[in-house]
Amino acid sequence: MRLPKAKGQVALAVGVIGLAAVVWHQTTAIPVSPIYARIGPTVFPTMVAAGLFVVGLMLLWQALRGGWQTEEDQDQSPVDWHALGWVLAGLVLNVALIKPFGFTLASVLLFACVAHGFGSTRPVRDAAVGFVLAGGTYFGFSRLLGLDIGTGLVERLF
Amino acid sequence: METLAALLHGFEVAISPINLLWALVGVTLGTAVGVLPGLGPALTIALLLPITYKVDAIGAFILFAGIYYGAMYGGSTTSILLNTPGESATIITAIEGNRMARNGRGGAALATAAIGSFVAGSIGIIGLTFLAPVIVEFALRFGPAEYFALMVLAFVAVSAVLGNSTVRGLTSLFFGIFLGLIGVDLQTGQPRFTFGLLELLDGINVIVVAVGLFAVGETLFLAARHRYGQDEIIPVRGSIWMTAEDWKRSWKAWLRGAAIGFPIGAMPAGGAEVPTFLSYFVEKKLSPKPEEFGHGAIEGVAGPEAANNASATGVLVPMLTLGLPTSATAAIMLSAFQSYGINPGPLLLQNQPALVWGLIASLYIGNVMLLVLNLPLIGLWVRILAIPKPLLYGGILVFATIGTYGISQSVIDLVLLYLIGGVGYLMRRYDFPTAPAIIGMILGPLAEQEFRRAMQVSQGDPTVFLTHPLSATLLAIAVLVVAAPQVYRFYRRNRPPRD
Amino acid sequence: MLLDRRLFLRSALLGSSSAVLLSRLSIPAFAQSLDSLKLFIPAAPGGGWDQTGRAMEYALKTANIVQNIQFEHVPGAGGAVGLPRFAGMRGQGNVLMVGGMVMVGALIANKAPVDLTQTTPIARLTGEFEVVVVPPQSSIKSMQELVAQFKQDPGKVSWAGGSAGGTDHILIGMIAQAVGVDPRKVNYVAYSGGGPAQAALLGGHVTAGVSGWGEFAEQIKAGKLRALAVSADKRIEGIDVPTLKEQGIDVELFNWRGVFAPPGIDDKQRQALLDLVDRMVKSDPWKQELQKRDWTSIYLSGEQFAQYIKSETDRITAILRNLGLAA
Repeated sequence: MRLPKAKGQVALAVGVIGLAAVVWHQTTAIPVSPIYARIGPTVFPTMVAAGLFVVGLMLLWQALRGGWQTEEDQDQSPVDWHALGWVLAGLVLNVALIKPFGFTLASVLLFACVAHGFGSTRPVRDAAVGFVLAGGTYFGFSRLLGLDIGTGLVERLF
Repeated sequence: METLAALLHGFEVAISPINLLWALVGVTLGTAVGVLPGLGPALTIALLLPITYKVDAIGAFILFAGIYYGAMYGGSTTSILLNTPGESATIITAIEGNRMARNGRGGAALATAAIGSFVAGSIGIIGLTFLAPVIVEFALRFGPAEYFALMVLAFVAVSAVLGNSTVRGLTSLFFGIFLGLIGVDLQTGQPRFTFGLLELLDGINVIVVAVGLFAVGETLFLAARHRYGQDEIIPVRGSIWMTAEDWKRSWKAWLRGAAIGFPIGAMPAGGAEVPTFLSYFVEKKLSPKPEEFGHGAIEGVAGPEAANNASATGVLVPMLTLGLPTSATAAIMLSAFQSYGINPGPLLLQNQPALVWGLIASLYIGNVMLLVLNLPLIGLWVRILAIPKPLLYGGILVFATIGTYGISQSVIDLVLLYLIGGVGYLMRRYDFPTAPAIIGMILGPLAEQEFRRAMQVSQGDPTVFLTHPLSATLLAIAVLVVAAPQVYRFYRRNRPPRD
Repeated sequence: MLLDRRLFLRSALLGSSSAVLLSRLSIPAFAQSLDSLKLFIPAAPGGGWDQTGRAMEYALKTANIVQNIQFEHVPGAGGAVGLPRFAGMRGQGNVLMVGGMVMVGALIANKAPVDLTQTTPIARLTGEFEVVVVPPQSSIKSMQELVAQFKQDPGKVSWAGGSAGGTDHILIGMIAQAVGVDPRKVNYVAYSGGGPAQAALLGGHVTAGVSGWGEFAEQIKAGKLRALAVSADKRIEGIDVPTLKEQGIDVELFNWRGVFAPPGIDDKQRQALLDLVDRMVKSDPWKQELQKRDWTSIYLSGEQFAQYIKSETDRITAILRNLGLAA
């Protein structure tokens, strides 16, 4: 039972080392001090890359030696892909639709998806609540402050 | 005496019905924008600048000051209830505040935040009234070397939020510093870690990261264990109000928070978040129950909340005495002065006494208004936690979206928010603390810039940090704070007890 | 066409509700006539360009030139984020972008894919000259003394100003060049925002500082900072500070602000915007705004402004190159 969990931790540690490599690589892409600078723009990034590398190695070492205790370990629960899937779907839909269809519609969908993921079985009520919340905010922004937070299909009806 | 007379005159100005109304509108609107993550007082005042064509200067400034102040109150409400900080200065509040709220102590957390803000705000205003010239003189002695030392000292606060493992805490810290370094380097104009995206040139907004790591990450985490784990939120347990013990643990934290927040707020490059970090650290060190920190310790809400309000008042010190805008909000308020043909500068107080003193008096009034408005609302606010979970988490995510997308209308920011939310999920899943990332993101770039400025001015001589007395003192305190407990432990271990 | 309609409706939405109803019923889909105008601000609300836009809005409305005015803000990277979006509004005759000299530099330094010559320049409106100051307790009393120290050991003179590659940095680069110091040797200490930079000067933490006149004016009047030179072309009435040119340094620099139309508009549309801006500049409310805000009018419009944009782009590219900030 210990192996799968440590596997995730190993992957995470490798990810941290990978991030260190990305930071390092991007640091070398910063043009070094084109102007008179005593301490150039790469000094701190280099320190961060080194720091990430060292902690990444330490995490890897810990993970390979059986891993560390997390809150999850106590209840041994698998991931609820159904709930997480719905929430993620809501986020993806929101990003995809907010430009073409406007703020309100994208927010209503996000709200309904998340609510469904968390076990709601009343999509119409969810959509209605989401509509009041998002629509209210939209008009608060646009009327009170004159700030356009994403006009789309729904907004144009009013 | 002269000051008192001037202040009294200021009250005469501020207490006129129309100005009272402006103060009320201001604090209400401020609370509303403070609640929304991302929409801060600076942007709100900027959007309301056209009002300067219609309203007289005193009315407009009383309105703006109310917004500025109200935002600080509103920001802490969502930090505590929804783990969604509305303002960067209330991020730290979320750490203990949200724990308290989930344990049914939301009422007490909101109360200690509101009363602490009131107490510290009042201390700050009194300081602004009587000590402004002295404070400013002290603040101006801070150069790059001194600021760097201050940031180093603030970094010590990381040790209070490391969580169960130093290695994982440091991972989080380095990740945060990395996020903070993204964007154009101020000193040399070179883009760093922007991956060719123009949108990243100005860096990532710390609120996007805080809301992503805290609110989005937490929601994903709870979704992932929805069917199996138990996610318990207790809306109210016991009294909704603060208990006698809460008062006893809060009042010293308020005073200490004010003492840390006001002077740092008055420093032109002090930063609004730095005092909240320091206050959190101090409270954890001084608390008789440090083990409660991370699980909902009331001092961890009382101190930082007091510190951020006192610091908000501190910002007005250089603004009103020297005309120096030292925060985004102050800069916008100064540009509002200009649209009245008033040039804010060292002579502002001499040339516009009615305006300045009216403004200061309105702060006293606004502070009382906010307390009166907020305390009765607590009962209503905590009921948010009784909302059925599907609607609560749907609402939190929509809310996070509003704050991010509403401000910039940038899909890239939204993608960033969700990606950081994904990172937040992994951090929660594998028990990495998120607070060090936020501290690193805020302090990392501040420390870097000040360090490089100091080295630039000294032409590469690193001894400046030690030859400047203030800087040396601050660094010494930082070393002591870190080393003293270790040394103490070492002695305890090597010297057997006498009896 | 669809795009225009969307844009129009979006702007109408933000107007007052009665205007929304009326205009939706009566105005055809194309919005070429200038009964509505959109001001595109490639910066956050509250900054200099936004302020210019707000002053324009006030003048245009008060002088009854245009009544329905909307704002769109796309902040980021000194205008480099907004400009590509603006360039995408090809052919729209009812949009004006507020921009300025800072943008020229930011576009070059950030290697933006578009530059201002790809817009339709309409007019330069206002400008602000820069000022060189030292702390009051400084032993340096004149520009000559500062230059002498600067030439002797450039590294020893630390200059505080805004972000690297910005207007302040550019001016120092020009001064260095004019007095024969390698611009790359300038010891430049960048601050974000005027407040912290002023504080560093007031506290005597740096040798000298450069900023827009407005930023330092009150400190100078109160004797908290000592002004050594201004970057104006000639002595400014009411300001007792000599120009750089008067002191033998052949440098002049205005941090100008102006308005631009999208690329690809036809001559009729361009003429309509030129007329609109011309009427505004000559109106009393605009003149009052300039006076109240202490802005200097350096009005230049149409073809002359387009020429000016070209020469400014070349001039600033050259300076940034000498500073090491442009390829």
